[in-house]
Amino acid sequence: MDKFEILDHTADVGLVAWGKSKEELFANAALGMFSLICDTEEVDGGFTTQVEVEGSDYEDLLVTWLNELLYLFEAEEVVLKQFTIQELGQYYLKAQVEGEPLDSQKHHIKRVVKACTYYEVRVEEVEPQLWRAQVYFDI
Amino acid sequence: MAEAWKGPLQKVNDWRWLIPRSYKKGMLTDGMIYASEKMISAIRKDQAPEQIANVACLPGIVGKSLAMPDIHWGYGFPIGGVAATQEKGGVISPGGVGFDINCGVRVIKTNLTEEEVKPHLEKLLTLLFTNIPSGVGSEGKLSFSIPELEKVMEKGARYIISRGFGFSEDEENIEERGAMEGANPEAVSAKARERGKDQLGSLGSGNHFLELEVVEQVFRPDLAEAFGLFPGQVIIMVHTGSRGLGHQVCTDYLQEMQKAMSRYDISVPDRQLACAPCDSPEGRGYFEAMACSANFAWANRQLITHWVREVFEQVFQKSAPALGMFILYDVAHNIAKWEEHEVEGKKMKLCVHRKGATRAFSAGHLALSPRYREVGQPVLIPGDMGTGSYILVGTELAMKETFGSTCHGAGRVMSRSEADRRSKGRDIAGELKERGVLVRAESKATLREEIPEAYKDVGEVVEVVERAGISKKVVYARPLGVIKG
Repeated sequence: MDKFEILDHTADVGLVAWGKSKEELFANAALGMFSLICDTEEVDGGFTTQVEVEGSDYEDLLVTWLNELLYLFEAEEVVLKQFTIQELGQYYLKAQVEGEPLDSQKHHIKRVVKACTYYEVRVEEVEPQLWRAQVYFDI
Repeated sequence: MAEAWKGPLQKVNDWRWLIPRSYKKGMLTDGMIYASEKMISAIRKDQAPEQIANVACLPGIVGKSLAMPDIHWGYGFPIGGVAATQEKGGVISPGGVGFDINCGVRVIKTNLTEEEVKPHLEKLLTLLFTNIPSGVGSEGKLSFSIPELEKVMEKGARYIISRGFGFSEDEENIEERGAMEGANPEAVSAKARERGKDQLGSLGSGNHFLELEVVEQVFRPDLAEAFGLFPGQVIIMVHTGSRGLGHQVCTDYLQEMQKAMSRYDISVPDRQLACAPCDSPEGRGYFEAMACSANFAWANRQLITHWVREVFEQVFQKSAPALGMFILYDVAHNIAKWEEHEVEGKKMKLCVHRKGATRAFSAGHLALSPRYREVGQPVLIPGDMGTGSYILVGTELAMKETFGSTCHGAGRVMSRSEADRRSKGRDIAGELKERGVLVRAESKATLREEIPEAYKDVGEVVEVVERAGISKKVVYARPLGVIKG
């Protein structure tokens, strides 16, 4: 099982993520998004924070979760690579996220992701113990 | 790749294509695409037409769901989409504006010719590149306190001019005189402020750029003269928006409207079209915060203008007024605005959403400064990196058909990953240099994603709006040098 794959879109970029559980799915989606922003292999530790978001369903929760991480990237100037989902219900997500303060010498930023959109967003359990998510980003 | 769109497109004439409202349940009106026959086959290659049909489902839509010839597949609205909704019973949709609120274009004139600028081009570009912050997460050179940021959100470019970064006449040549009414900083979240506060006075990345161009072709000499443009003249085009502030405002209100829709009993075919009644607390809140972001963007382009003037002053050892560095115009191409339009003989106050579309008011419109009221509004159409730009003027027909709107640029035809594949191993800056365009870029990856063949030919786009009569060509300007984030 791949963690994620990138979808072609004329103006923007889409992402499909996979997971054996919905927790793993949300973590892989976050990793996929940061792989669009930078080379996550270049990211070490040094920064940890808690993230909590609310949503009206899994799709809303996924979009809100990814947008919260984009906010951290831009406002706190950190690149993230480790996502531990601690609680995930239909309306609430709590996670610990880890990464490193952005260092322009060390981290090669590929592109700006303006936001995660709701366009064609999907979160589904395609078969027992296989979850799939799809989102599009505004680049 | 994306699935091709198989819905019905009826040819109205050579430049207009209709998606009948019978196409899809929920459509309240027809869709209309302005395009040539050749473009239509490209437009059908992805789901952009479906998005036009989706927009036609928005409650309170007035007139048709419109798409300009630079239409391409977006999220929610297509890029190049225009839709007007009524005040009572109509909705406002953050997805109809987009994340980069008031992404727009400004043109600064000079009285210098290509011959005078060419010997200094390298130096100009290097200085512009060092003096104007660009790139992912780029931060401005000035630090603004929270009270100052609130003034920027309320008063836009006017506040920046009052702080000494501009000429007093600058505001007359900016859409909304550089500050939209109805801005209320209280509607802007702490997160949005945090994301925006250090980015005022920065270009950003992606398709944003600053370009030195030379007026090469004049199509309508009388209008060019009225705009203060002449062949061989060097002009500067600035393309940027509201940076992280606008992105966060859109994110915040999209989320809020997801929740609000069920309360107002609204359902839309795409969640990215989330909306709320214009007169609801959520709708009003979004408009107030969007106006703040729009004002931030005009302030941003004003600060950049100031630094452009400083660089030219340093290189040419003359003052900016002596170099004729006045603003031609400044237009927003991602915005929603309250405007009065005549619909079936009746004047109506409408919320006009323009997402990747430019306002193009005709002569006589009271929103225009006296200078342009006689001739019509300058419309600034950037091409992609290195292919040049057009300056158009608004027409009476645009007022009647498109709520005074026209195209905004070239429009992508190739995904970023395809552009990346096709540009592998190529020296894009070198290729552009061979074509006579010098490039300074923060990121090679951006250059590769933004290769010229990833875009439609801006000339074809402009030809369609001219032939359809929704704007008229005034001049074409060829690029000399470009700065990319």
